[in-house]
Amino acid sequence: MKEKPYRSVPLEPGEITPKYLYKTRRQFMKQIGVVGLGALLASCAPANSGNPGAPGMVLPGAGGEVPADVLTAYEAVTGYCNFYEFTTNKETVDELAQDFVTQPWSVQVDGLVDSPKAYSMEDILAKFTQEERIYRMRCVEGWSMVIPWTGFPLRQLLEEVQPTSEAHYVAFETALVPEQMDGARSRMFPFPYTEGLRLDEALHDLTILATGLYDEPLPPQNGAPIRLVVPWKYGFKSIKSIVRISLVAEQPPTLWNTIAPNEYGFYANVNPAVDHPRWSQATERRIGESGRRDTLLMNGYAEEVMPLYEGMDLTVDF
Amino acid sequence: MTDRSDRSIRNQWGRISAHLLGGVPLILLGWQLVQGRLGFNPVESVLRWTGRLALGLLLLSLSVTPIRKIFKISAISAMRKPLGLYAALYAFLHFSVFALWDYQLNIRQIYLEISNKPFILLGMIALLILLVLAATSFRFWQRKLGRKWVWLHRSVYAAALLVILHYLLAVKGDLFSLQGAYAPPLIAAGILVLLLILRIPAIQQCLRPTFTQQEPDQPASD
Ligand code: HEM
Repeated sequence: MKEKPYRSVPLEPGEITPKYLYKTRRQFMKQIGVVGLGALLASCAPANSGNPGAPGMVLPGAGGEVPADVLTAYEAVTGYCNFYEFTTNKETVDELAQDFVTQPWSVQVDGLVDSPKAYSMEDILAKFTQEERIYRMRCVEGWSMVIPWTGFPLRQLLEEVQPTSEAHYVAFETALVPEQMDGARSRMFPFPYTEGLRLDEALHDLTILATGLYDEPLPPQNGAPIRLVVPWKYGFKSIKSIVRISLVAEQPPTLWNTIAPNEYGFYANVNPAVDHPRWSQATERRIGESGRRDTLLMNGYAEEVMPLYEGMDLTVDF
Repeated sequence: MTDRSDRSIRNQWGRISAHLLGGVPLILLGWQLVQGRLGFNPVESVLRWTGRLALGLLLLSLSVTPIRKIFKISAISAMRKPLGLYAALYAFLHFSVFALWDYQLNIRQIYLEISNKPFILLGMIALLILLVLAATSFRFWQRKLGRKWVWLHRSVYAAALLVILHYLLAVKGDLFSLQGAYAPPLIAAGILVLLLILRIPAIQQCLRPTFTQQEPDQPASD
């Protein structure tokens, strides 16, 4: 599978323009004539002040039968997303979330670990080298984006706290601040939002904790100040605004899986062969494009992550 | 007491209001679309708006007769048919967006969606009912079918019910524990139940006096 946008580029402290831009711009110029879509997207996006990754940039390795992956415009990434604690409306969430207080922030890491610890955001940014990761993001609702995240592998943080041998799962929890979250007051959903991963999934190199996107700190609606990104799973697994990470022995309850287990599996791996009663999982709408494109097994990361699921029936454990 | 020309002017007003209710949202939606103001996922926006408008106009059309009977406002009876036709139009646009814009007439994918997703199948049946009713809404068919026409056109309630089920199933959440954004389809369901209750003749009989006798009894209050 050569079509995966997966690039990992460590950033020097204080570096503004990620290195991947220099490397790929040449390729971009080459492909833009063929693909054309990039140009279209770029011309739709307003002049992007200070966003180093030009929206519309075609990623390397694209082409062939699978249509090229193009970075989704910054405005779309930050203006269209789900964060139900604020609202169920994907296009007003940015306004409703803008006063969300993310400073000071601390992430409690506890449970079955040798050295539980509360990390401040300053600790996290100082301790873990931030790098750029460009990932596809596929929402269970049938739309997708390509997003340049800044972050670090979750594995690095887990290695610091040393999970014990009984730890088999990682449970995550989102901040719940009803005074600042309109949607959380309506009690439509059993907040706080919770998510979980199997320990081996959490330790996988593709799994990151993101602190920024397009080389800027995460805006509140995208999960400021720190969120999970698991690119081969539906977006709802990539929990936002994390305040707690606990290592546990049993599969932890997670919000969507608790509400509707028949629709939202614990694994929630992107899989075109496992249908959902509402949305097509065989195809997806890429934001910024018209028409649909085929959804890829594991969102295009099958080569890297299929070994995690050896011997499992993915239509049963979906 | 009204003479013929007076009545036809009133009917005219009914018809004009119906065209405003049905036409203005369409113009606004089209305008927003060409202006590119329908957000980052315009397919989804147009799909949702045409769906909601179709259901809203359908319920409005069904409300015309009860309102006319209970409040004795005969002028609005001219609104029933155009509102119903607009509902069918929006439902057809809703389906066209799905088939042409979203799925680009990929027949295999469309077939898979219709056959795999109960909510789409319900929508499809509702759409077929609405299209048949729209096609037979003209006087020619009304005369030709006679009493059968009345029965045929009662299936509009079945269509409304199917659409509300379609809506309830299209919401992300869990219907049985009501965790999710279920308020709009449940409000629609409430309105439909109310409309069905109002069709019971006995209920109409009791309601009529309470509403229509108030006017002469009460002196001008301000
Ligand atoms: C073949 C027929 C139909 C198809 C394929 C269809 C398809 C869809 C789809 C895919 C959605 C989900 C949109 C989304 O959440 O992204 C939807 C929602 C909806 N549809 Fe349909 N539909 C059909 C018929 C109808 C009819 C006949 C009506 C009304 C008269 C209707 C009213 C609605 C409403 C009210 C919604 C919810 C909109 C919202 O979420 O606000 N649909 N339909």
